[in-house]
Amino acid sequence: MVHYIGLLLDDSRLEAIKGTGLEEKLTTLFGGQVKQLIMEVPEEVSKKILAEFPNARIDSRSFLEDLPVAFKRALFQEVVNKKSLGAEVIEAVFQKIDEIKDLAAKESEYIPPPDIDTSEI
Amino acid sequence: MVLLKTPPPHGGNLVDRVVRNPDRAKKMADGCVAFDIKPTMLDGVPIRNVYREIMSICYGFFSPVDGSMVRNEVERVLEERRLLSEWVFPYPLVFDISEEDYKSLGVGEGDRLLLRLKGQPFAVLDIDEVYKIDPVDIATRTFGTPERNPEVVKVPFDKKHPGYMIYRSMQPVVLAGKYTIVNEPKFRNPFDKFWFPPAKCREAFKEKGWRTAIAHQTRNVPHVGHEALMKNAAYTGDVEPCRGILVNAIIGAKRRGDYPDEAILEGHAAVNRFGYIKPERHMVTFTLWDMRYGNPIESLLHGIIRQNMGCTHHMFGRDHAAVGEYYDMYATQILWTKGIPSFGFEAPPNEVDYGLKIIPQNMAEFWYCPKCQEMVYSETCGHVDMKQKLSGSFIRGMVAEGIFPPNIIMRNEVYKAIVKWWKVYGYPFVNPKYLEEKDKNLEVDLPPMEVSKG
Ligand SMILES: [Zn+2]
Repeated sequence: MVHYIGLLLDDSRLEAIKGTGLEEKLTTLFGGQVKQLIMEVPEEVSKKILAEFPNARIDSRSFLEDLPVAFKRALFQEVVNKKSLGAEVIEAVFQKIDEIKDLAAKESEYIPPPDIDTSEI
Repeated sequence: MVLLKTPPPHGGNLVDRVVRNPDRAKKMADGCVAFDIKPTMLDGVPIRNVYREIMSICYGFFSPVDGSMVRNEVERVLEERRLLSEWVFPYPLVFDISEEDYKSLGVGEGDRLLLRLKGQPFAVLDIDEVYKIDPVDIATRTFGTPERNPEVVKVPFDKKHPGYMIYRSMQPVVLAGKYTIVNEPKFRNPFDKFWFPPAKCREAFKEKGWRTAIAHQTRNVPHVGHEALMKNAAYTGDVEPCRGILVNAIIGAKRRGDYPDEAILEGHAAVNRFGYIKPERHMVTFTLWDMRYGNPIESLLHGIIRQNMGCTHHMFGRDHAAVGEYYDMYATQILWTKGIPSFGFEAPPNEVDYGLKIIPQNMAEFWYCPKCQEMVYSETCGHVDMKQKLSGSFIRGMVAEGIFPPNIIMRNEVYKAIVKWWKVYGYPFVNPKYLEEKDKNLEVDLPPMEVSKG
C-alpha cells in the first residue's frame, strides 16, 4: 500500500517552487484555501520513516502525519533542490537523518510561536 | 408532540457536598487526622489526581454518587454498572492509599480524615469502610475483556491504554465513605470563566430559556468539522431544534501532544465569542475528570454528567472517547441504540429502569466536499470519493509548521487561542514543561484555612 506526505505551501514556499515545474503538481484542498504538494511514499519507505520518528503515524487518509517540522522542512528543501517529488528526494533527506533527528528532539520541547496578535482572545 | 423539558438529575437530586459556611467547615475539619492527596503515578508521570473526582462528586456532576464507594458498590458497578441504590453508573470511584500510608494514618471505620490539597485543607472523608482491592482485577473488569464482553471488546486491555493504567496503578487500600468539601478551591484563569457545576448550569439554562440543549463532548480545540457537527446535531430537538449547545470539556491529566486545556476552553469559547455559533445558543463548560477512554463505558459517564447539567440530548460519534482499537469503533452507538447485555444493558441506558433520561444523538462524520463546496455530512453528500477530511493530525501538522490555517478549516480566532497559550508554554501542544506546571498547579488554588491538628 502506498502512503502519502502532504507538503503544505504558504506564500514563501509558493515563491520557492516558482519556475521548478512543480507548480503544475500543486493540488488544492478545501475550496482552494489549502495548497499542497503530495509525495507518494512506498510502504517500505514509510516504515523507515515511522521507525525514525515514534510520534509519526498514518492517518485515515493514508497520509503520514505528526512528522517533525524539521523533517518536513528538509523534505521541502530537497523537493526544491531536485525539482521533483520522486523517491530520490526522501533518499536525500535520509542522508541527513541524524541532523534532522537532533532538530526534531528539540522541537518536541519548544517551537517559537508565530508572531501574531492574540490580544482579542 | 410532547415538548421536552430539562430532565431531572440522575438519581433524582443533585448532590451538593460543599460546606460554604467557614465556621461550620472549620468545625468539621478541626481535630481530624490529615492526609496530603497524592497523584496516581505511572513511570514517574501523574496520570490521575483524585481531587478531580472529589470535586466532580461534591459539586454534583456525578450525582447520585456522593463519595468513595464501599466494596459491595464497586462489585455491583463492575458486574452490572449499577449503584447499590440501583441507579446506572459506569465506573468504580474510590479513595485509594498505600499500605504504608494506611498504617501511618492509623484511621479506621467511623473516623473522619481531612484531605489536604496544595498544602491546604480541602475536603473531609467520613470513613464507612476500609478494604483492599486488586488493581489489576479492577482495571480488567472496568473496561471488559473479549471473552466477557464479546459484543464490543476486540482485544484485551494492556499497558498502552491510559484508562486501564489508571486503575492498574491504584493503591491497594480503599477508604470508603462520603466526601465533603470544606474549603472551596478557586479556579485559576481561564478555568474560572467556564466553571458551571450542575446547579449553576441549570440556572444558566433557565436564564437563557434553554428548554432543550444538546451536549458536545470535547478534549480538543475545535476545527470547523466539530463546529459543523455541533450546528447540525443541534437540529434534533422536539418541535424545533435544540435551543442550546453545551460544550463540556473533560479537564484532567494530560498526555504529550494534546492541546493545552486552556487552549481547548478558549478555543471553544472563540466559536461563540466571534459569532460562528452565537452565544445565545452555545456555551462552554468543563468537568474535572482524568479521562479513562472507556468508549461505551465513558459515554455513560458523559450522559450522566450532561443530564445532571440539564441537557436533553447528547452527541455521540464514532470512536467516542476512544483510544486504540480495544473497542469496536461503534461501541458507544451500539450501547445507545440497542444496549450491551454483557455490560448490564439489555436495552439502551435511557430505556432501562434507573437509567438515564438524556437522549442520544448518534452522529457520523463531517468533511469538506469540493463539489458541494461546503462542509457536508457523510451520510448526506453523494460525492464520497471527493471527500476531504479534516483530520486532527492534519491540522496539528499545519499548526506545528506555523501555517495560519484558513478559516474553512479552523476559525482564525480559534487558532489565535492556540497561539495565545503557545506563547505562554513555548509550545502549541502539551510538552514536558506543561505537564510539570499542570502537576504542580492543578487547575485551582486553595485559600489558606486554619484548622486545629488531630
Ligand atoms: Zn458533495
